[in-house]
Amino acid sequence: MDPLLLGLIVALATVFVLFSGIPVAVGLLTVSALFLLAFDGLRSLSLMPEILFGKLNDFALLSIPMFIIMGAAISSTRAGADLYEALERWLTRVPGGLVVSNLGACALFAAMSGSSPATCAAIGKMGIPEMRRRGYPDGVAAGSIAAGGTLGILIPPSVTMIVYGIATETSIGRLFLAGVLPGVMLVGLFMAWSIFSTWRSGNMAVLGQRSYPWRARLEILPRVLPFLAIIAGVLYAMYGGVATPSETAAVGALLCVVIAVVIYRMWSIGAIWVVLRDSTRESVMILFIIGAAGVFSYMLSSLFITQSIAGWIAELEANRWVIMLCVNLFLLVAGFFLPPVAVILMAAPILMPIIEGAGFDPYWFAVVLTINMEIGLISPPVGLNLYVINGIAPDIPLGTILKGSLPFVACMVLGIVILALFPGLATWLPTLVMGAA
Amino acid sequence: ATDLRLSHQWSTSDIRHKVAQMVADEVAAADVDLSIRIFPSGSLFKAREQYTPLTRGQLDMTVLPLSYAGGQHQEYNLTLMPGLVKNHDHAARLIHSPFMAELEKILNDDDVMTLVPGYLAGGFVGKDKCITKPEDVSGLQIRAAGKAFEEMLSGAGASIASMASSEIYNAMQTGVLQATNTSSSSFVSYRIYEQAACYTPAGDVALWFMYQPLLINKTTFEDLDDAQKEALLQASEKAEAWYLEQAKLEDAASAQVFEEKGVEIAKMSEEDFEAWRKLAAETSYKVFVTEVPDGQKLLDLALQVE
Amino acid sequence: MSGTAPATPLTAAAAAATALPRRDASHPFLRFAATLSRACGVLAALMIVASILVTCQMILVRFVLNGSTTWQTEFVIYMMIGATLIGLPYVQLLRGHVNVDLLPIALPRRLRLGLAFVTLGAAFAVIGLLMFYGAELWHVAWARNWTSETVWRVPLWIPYLAMPLGFGLYLVQIAADLFAVASGRETPFGLPEKP
Ligand code: NA
Ligand code: NA
Repeated sequence: MDPLLLGLIVALATVFVLFSGIPVAVGLLTVSALFLLAFDGLRSLSLMPEILFGKLNDFALLSIPMFIIMGAAISSTRAGADLYEALERWLTRVPGGLVVSNLGACALFAAMSGSSPATCAAIGKMGIPEMRRRGYPDGVAAGSIAAGGTLGILIPPSVTMIVYGIATETSIGRLFLAGVLPGVMLVGLFMAWSIFSTWRSGNMAVLGQRSYPWRARLEILPRVLPFLAIIAGVLYAMYGGVATPSETAAVGALLCVVIAVVIYRMWSIGAIWVVLRDSTRESVMILFIIGAAGVFSYMLSSLFITQSIAGWIAELEANRWVIMLCVNLFLLVAGFFLPPVAVILMAAPILMPIIEGAGFDPYWFAVVLTINMEIGLISPPVGLNLYVINGIAPDIPLGTILKGSLPFVACMVLGIVILALFPGLATWLPTLVMGAA
Repeated sequence: ATDLRLSHQWSTSDIRHKVAQMVADEVAAADVDLSIRIFPSGSLFKAREQYTPLTRGQLDMTVLPLSYAGGQHQEYNLTLMPGLVKNHDHAARLIHSPFMAELEKILNDDDVMTLVPGYLAGGFVGKDKCITKPEDVSGLQIRAAGKAFEEMLSGAGASIASMASSEIYNAMQTGVLQATNTSSSSFVSYRIYEQAACYTPAGDVALWFMYQPLLINKTTFEDLDDAQKEALLQASEKAEAWYLEQAKLEDAASAQVFEEKGVEIAKMSEEDFEAWRKLAAETSYKVFVTEVPDGQKLLDLALQVE
Repeated sequence: MSGTAPATPLTAAAAAATALPRRDASHPFLRFAATLSRACGVLAALMIVASILVTCQMILVRFVLNGSTTWQTEFVIYMMIGATLIGLPYVQLLRGHVNVDLLPIALPRRLRLGLAFVTLGAAFAVIGLLMFYGAELWHVAWARNWTSETVWRVPLWIPYLAMPLGFGLYLVQIAADLFAVASGRETPFGLPEKP
């Protein structure tokens, strides 16, 4: 059979199986098993556990549970509230006040957590009730946190960047650096929109009025120190010759747990177990998808589908920006339904040759891809962050959360356009710190 | 038509891919209804996960550093043993010696046979200084390619840091690593010259030689018709000569790349080589002999080759 | 977008804000499977903790003592693989394996039940397949004395054991889920019944 036609059949089968409600990883394994059996016979089927094991046989994967633990440990303490309060006291003079400090807190928290939902939960637990109490519309309160939370995978550390680095054999340290400035840009866009919408709703005067004396502002600063210590410690370990990026993650995890226990007095075994349990659950889920996606991509490669699609697109000789537009639309649609890790793993082997063939920088593309995944996190039907918000504030209808986060989706699309116009936003910092790629 | 699948871990510009491509092209040109489809860059199997499928016929062909399967057959560790091979001409003689015939027997027992034998050489790089003799590595954090090398370098007083090859660049840059040894081509493809002060390439003598043959599943081969077998063997013979020639050029080419980037080039002398070899005899060889039944016999066979 | 809250706690953080899914324990088999899966969860979590500590120990030995670190990387990799495979049943128990439940939500009750049998059955079959071939690989590594290619020379049957064990225990939990749905103890996909 023509590999391209076969590819189409595999794609349809995958969509069908994944929509059935079967766990994503198991669905990928099921599709792989069916096609390997049909086109490669029993001899390939027996390879499945070996390939799954081999995919997980990679030290770099360690950083995934580690960065998840960092987020979970910190978000289980008062730390998120402290950070949030400090920013609020300092930023009240800024128009939009509270919502701007919430977004800032999300960005700072993202610098410690590798996952988006963790960021969302940590800041949202405090931020959403507070914003609603002060008269912000439910949509703005929920939407800003949902969107701000997505920064967790753009601002380093980032679980999806690690997965991308492994899938495409690119440097994880470089990928992290590539996400910094675009992350700052997105926060800026989010803040600009929040200020604008507050102003437009005529609430500017009311929402910005509260102010804190200097004493209150200075008083809170020591409570932000643990954060700065963790961020500084991780950066020093990573770029100061102490450890490789994957090893650094373990240092970060240990630091966060120690700080949670010592400074925030998370002394009970029960509380520590909750952090461990939640981190184990999220990590195992992601790592299982990674292993299953490895089997899936073996199937695609073995049936020569990957190579044929890449070759076919190269032969189209379409304009590189048309290709980029199509790639973005594909990622966007995939992101609507699938968790970021699954999208990256399934798409990377097919997309990478196309992207590099069209002359795009793989680090720049990682950032574009990540922003697409961020959009998926706050879009129906499977938007992890929407559900996190739903868990924090069950009385806000999902429709309202969705409507509130829609303008932030527009900000992210705008962000992708800006990145296309100024690719240096993603490539400048890695080049500055680590030299030319 | 027979369709064979060949998997390897290297990019399409690598010498080992070109060897595979050469065999595939020659076979195609012979017009014997046989085609070889190459899966480069680990796009089918990861580097270290190719040997087992090869033995079971789930993969037809591969270009593989044989020491990657050293966990299944300790004997293969002799194909990445410090000081066992002195230079490329020595390697060429070793390939057709009774020693290699013994290894071929082990391969055959696993239902594998060799099509294109070949050794590639490598050297040392230092972040701050040159490494030519054992004293140079004392106290350094070093990443060595291969178990036997780790044992020897550890015997020289170096500290061994184990990490994936993809992390070498980063680790050299930040100072986690102060030295490393691997193949000439890997040094260039990982752009290690950007982070090195000194490079000791393979020259008249070299310590680091790794056997990286093109292998085929034996049953797969035997199931081919006579014309196909003949075409494959002829293509392999041609590729072997080319592989040897290119392997020699590779060392000089890598030295040139490093020199152009302003990296100091050091030379390992005959005495340095003997010092390393003596150290290896006390460390890696010794471990090998204790770990492998019949190890002494195999080692002697290899050392007998002039 | 359906207004139904998903039964799947999609992430750890989401779960920190919501409660754990309630699992039925009215039958000894369900209790047995749940206990087994919880034990797996504890084991997986301990393996992750061990990875943190060993990695930090490795950095300490290398950076502070300038010593050799030959076994740590490999140890950590095997711990991560172990945690992943042994953790599977526990994550299933917590309904933590992320899924797309669009179709189940859209379906009427009877069809949803049918679909639940199909997906759980498929999961049972494919995980059973992995367990079978994983056991085969484990046995070969054990019988032929395979080791890793490092100085540490770990007998490979030890890390390979995670495959038959992890997938096998996962099968038990999937069987428990099938039983819970078939006996009407739990709703298909853990979704709330429509009024
Ligand atoms: Na982050
Ligand atoms: Na979505």
